Amino acid sequence: MTDVVIKTVEELKDAPEEYREAVGKLVISHAINELYGAQVFDEPAIAYAPTPYAKWLTCRVAMEEYGHHVRFKQLGLQMGIPEERMVPGAGKKPLSIFEFPLKTWEEFVAIKLLADLAEILQVEDLLHCTFHPLRNLARATMPEERFHAQFGEDFSAELVKTPEGKARLQAAVNEYYPYLPSFFGGSKSRNNEIFRKWKIKQRTNDEMRQDYVKRATEVAAKYGLTLPEVRQAA
Amino acid sequence: MSRVVALPGPRLAALRAEVRTASWFAALGEPLTEGECSDAAAYIDALGLGLLAVGQAQDWPDVERILKMPDGTTAWWDREEALRRQLLADAEALYPEHALWSSLTDLTTEAGDLVHGKAATAAARMGKAAPASIHVAAGAASQAVYQLAVARLAGQPASPFESKFRLYAAGRWPLGIVGSRLILF
Repeated sequence: MTDVVIKTVEELKDAPEEYREAVGKLVISHAINELYGAQVFDEPAIAYAPTPYAKWLTCRVAMEEYGHHVRFKQLGLQMGIPEERMVPGAGKKPLSIFEFPLKTWEEFVAIKLLADLAEILQVEDLLHCTFHPLRNLARATMPEERFHAQFGEDFSAELVKTPEGKARLQAAVNEYYPYLPSFFGGSKSRNNEIFRKWKIKQRTNDEMRQDYVKRATEVAAKYGLTLPEVRQAA
Repeated sequence: MSRVVALPGPRLAALRAEVRTASWFAALGEPLTEGECSDAAAYIDALGLGLLAVGQAQDWPDVERILKMPDGTTAWWDREEALRRQLLADAEALYPEHALWSSLTDLTTEAGDLVHGKAATAAARMGKAAPASIHVAAGAASQAVYQLAVARLAGQPASPFESKFRLYAAGRWPLGIVGSRLILF
């Protein structure tokens, strides 16, 4: 293992090239995916929310997701990454889940319940990152991500009170969950190897994926939901 | 033919200053003043939903009950949304899309953090608020900032979003229209 600790963006300039590139990739990836999530799911969900209470709560969630994009983008700008590389359309392929526009409130609740749990795991893995500006950003983001997942739990609890609501939520889980385990990247990811070499991230993609599947199964079971089987590519 | 120009920096800076100095959620539960009733009447008039009275929520549990009514009308919400979309289209015709979008995102993010703290303070002071309701209040207030920014960038000084913002700036929370009444907290 390589013991490098970078406490400021200024210090990053003197870090090994591999380290700088690895941190840059992570910041770009988070900036883009937070923005995609806000645009494709959170903002459209406001219209589907059933009451003003749910609409304004969804507004707040959407604004926090946009805010995460802003925070990662600001860090990227400080690191010298051009803004156009941190917004969609810059050549980086979006995660497959973003190709399916939101159609119902139940889909949004399922996404908050399960996709935001995946986001929590990704952010958790940065809480001990050796690049401290990124570690600090992850720590600032974590309470908001937890609130978004709790939002998913709270509205799941509401929906499963009726058989119709539970059936609609289960259908949404069946539709979206299969895309989520691949959030964590390939088993033989060279990027992940480099992230762990420099202790930017802590766990392998497979370790995170296994942990995610376990936690997602537990949270779904709390509301009487089941997860469809997902076959993983090697 | 449309003419795309640079974003008006001074107009955005002025709005940022208004957001910073507003009395977010400072007057919740207090008796309504004449000035607030006048702003409420201006909001109702600009929204174009007919003659409405002004009512008041007493405390946070009352707010939660009102906002969670499953049979509550959302005609006012739909009217605001239709207007926002129209104003956003007007603004998009005036300014470069990316600059407009970035400035609205930055402004709303900054405002969101500010009003969230103010809502939390108000909830702690008054008591009996569900934790999620602080997020709801922050969502409502930052939405009001966003709506006002869109209206001003579109060059529309007479939108309902002006009087709505004035209610927030006075420390109130407009909760929407229930039956024939606009409810303020």
